[in-house]
Amino acid sequence: MVTVADVNPYEMIAFTGSRVLEDNTIIFVGTGLPIIASMHAQMTHAPNVNLIFEAGSLASILEQGMPMSVGDTRAFRKAVFAKGLCALFEMTQRGYADYAFIGGAQIDIYGNVCSTYEGGTYAKPRVRFPGSGGAGAMAANCEKTIAIMALEKRRFVKQVDFITSIGFGDGSPDYRDKAGVMGSGPYRVITNQALFGYDKDRRMMLLEYLPGKSPKAIQELVDFELKIAPDCKEMALPTEHDLMLLRTKCDPEGYFLKRKVVEK
Amino acid sequence: MKTGVSSKIAGWTIVDKAILEKYKKRKEEFEYWGPTPEQARKAAVAKKKGLFDKRTTIKEAVAKYVKDGMNIGIGGFVNTRVPTAIIWNIVKKGAKNLTLSFQSNSICCEWLAGAMVVNPDHVSIKRIELAWWGYEVIGIAPLLRYLAGNGMIEIDDYTNYGMSARFKAGAMGIPFIPTRDHGGSDMELVNRGFMMQCPFSGRNVYLLPACIPDVGIVHVQAADMYGNARIFGSLCTCPEIVQAAAHSIVSTELIIDNMAIRRYPNFTEIPYPVVDAVCEQQFGGYPGAVYGQYWFDMEHFLKFRSLCDEFRKTGNKDGIKKYYDDYFWSCDTWDDFIAKIVPHKKLIQLRRMDGGQPMVLS
Repeated sequence: MVTVADVNPYEMIAFTGSRVLEDNTIIFVGTGLPIIASMHAQMTHAPNVNLIFEAGSLASILEQGMPMSVGDTRAFRKAVFAKGLCALFEMTQRGYADYAFIGGAQIDIYGNVCSTYEGGTYAKPRVRFPGSGGAGAMAANCEKTIAIMALEKRRFVKQVDFITSIGFGDGSPDYRDKAGVMGSGPYRVITNQALFGYDKDRRMMLLEYLPGKSPKAIQELVDFELKIAPDCKEMALPTEHDLMLLRTKCDPEGYFLKRKVVEK
Repeated sequence: MKTGVSSKIAGWTIVDKAILEKYKKRKEEFEYWGPTPEQARKAAVAKKKGLFDKRTTIKEAVAKYVKDGMNIGIGGFVNTRVPTAIIWNIVKKGAKNLTLSFQSNSICCEWLAGAMVVNPDHVSIKRIELAWWGYEVIGIAPLLRYLAGNGMIEIDDYTNYGMSARFKAGAMGIPFIPTRDHGGSDMELVNRGFMMQCPFSGRNVYLLPACIPDVGIVHVQAADMYGNARIFGSLCTCPEIVQAAAHSIVSTELIIDNMAIRRYPNFTEIPYPVVDAVCEQQFGGYPGAVYGQYWFDMEHFLKFRSLCDEFRKTGNKDGIKKYYDDYFWSCDTWDDFIAKIVPHKKLIQLRRMDGGQPMVLS
């Protein structure tokens, strides 16, 4: 019987990420945990989940192991369609990508995500991140956005320093329409200790929490006031089989699953 | 038609007001960071359009086409099919006040930035128009963080689709392209795109200016001597970059016969008229991966990145200086560099790690 102590934080994220994916959908994945979560879903409950890698592949077969990045040549193995960035982002803009699976450095109550900089100014940032990459376009035009990050207080902020990937903006009902984007927007936020959704006013809402924790404990790791779902419950834990898949098939080197989480 | 409308981001952003004013001005006083579509058209018209042998060395091509102050469009994507051999030659030659345009890249930009750290009178980057600069699983790019954090380069941020669409617009010979992203994010406020009310539907749509490099540089798997090129695996945005650019340098793992190109013309991703120089260069994308040829040399990425990170954290340039002494200044050619840096056994291993990705070369 697997207990919370047997599962490390990033395994919890990957497993939960897998769990929220629906079969027969197209997932536009970012590097790392999104790839791992999607691989796990394909091996278990969602065999007909197909992936877009933004470098330009559709429905590849990841038989050479986890691609190190979304541009890795392994992400093109036995794909059904292999082009470049334009082709796959255009399919996405057209409406053929169901889920965006993105990471980021900060997220706010309306699901806006920052991956451009933290602190300082745009012109002279304290910490400059790599930039949008595909995330900004994925969050705009995939139908639903799933954000994936460790639950750390510095990440769950009142307002992000810079909106790189659009969520619900200021939360107003027509924000995304005025922004000219096509997707319906934020859907889930997956963390090691909690699974979040959004309420009818587009505010982040706690759906599930790690067994042994409480909504109050989760709130302490979030810098804004968290809505709590009326049917809020404990997160499902992976089985031994799930852990075996994650550890030996998805990320055997532990590039992503063995990292540490800093709660502050 | 109404341009310069805004989404609701202007009322929600927490980006500093003075900063926003500054970037608003850059948007309103727009200028292309490279040739205009009209200038690029003239460059295309001036080219001889016959099929003639364009083979040359990268060194000669770089000497001919890369000058100070130019916009260099860099092909590949992150660590894949990156034109490292061309960048290496640009570093060797030296080029100042460069504008770099790309969607996502790692070592190409870091090599130029490292050269700038070592000797800013030889290589310098003035500004970048980009979506992403980093190493993915290997880590963040220390020199981007250094240059940006010290306000040493001007940055213009887009998404990967945004940059790709901008090159596509350049390749199409049009001045701008509408997209469904950037709007409602802070990029709408700071980049050089413009929100517009669509003249047909009346709805907001985001316009991006075409991106037209002076010189587009890409590395491919196979090309004939005229510049007809095949790409396998990801096309990245290479066909668009080369066709957008006023001039282009294509390095290739293999030169294939023109009759092979003619046998399967559907495989030609880059047509010869848009190519100015064809440079046969094996391992021309090392330490990146080239589909069908070799996989990443993770070890070398880690080595160079750790030297840069040490500089970023301590300000000590010794490690980076030595790297450039050893692997740039004391090597005459890219082949010398490869011979010095990668043992033969390692090359065999990298080829094996590609896993025999399929290509059509006949």
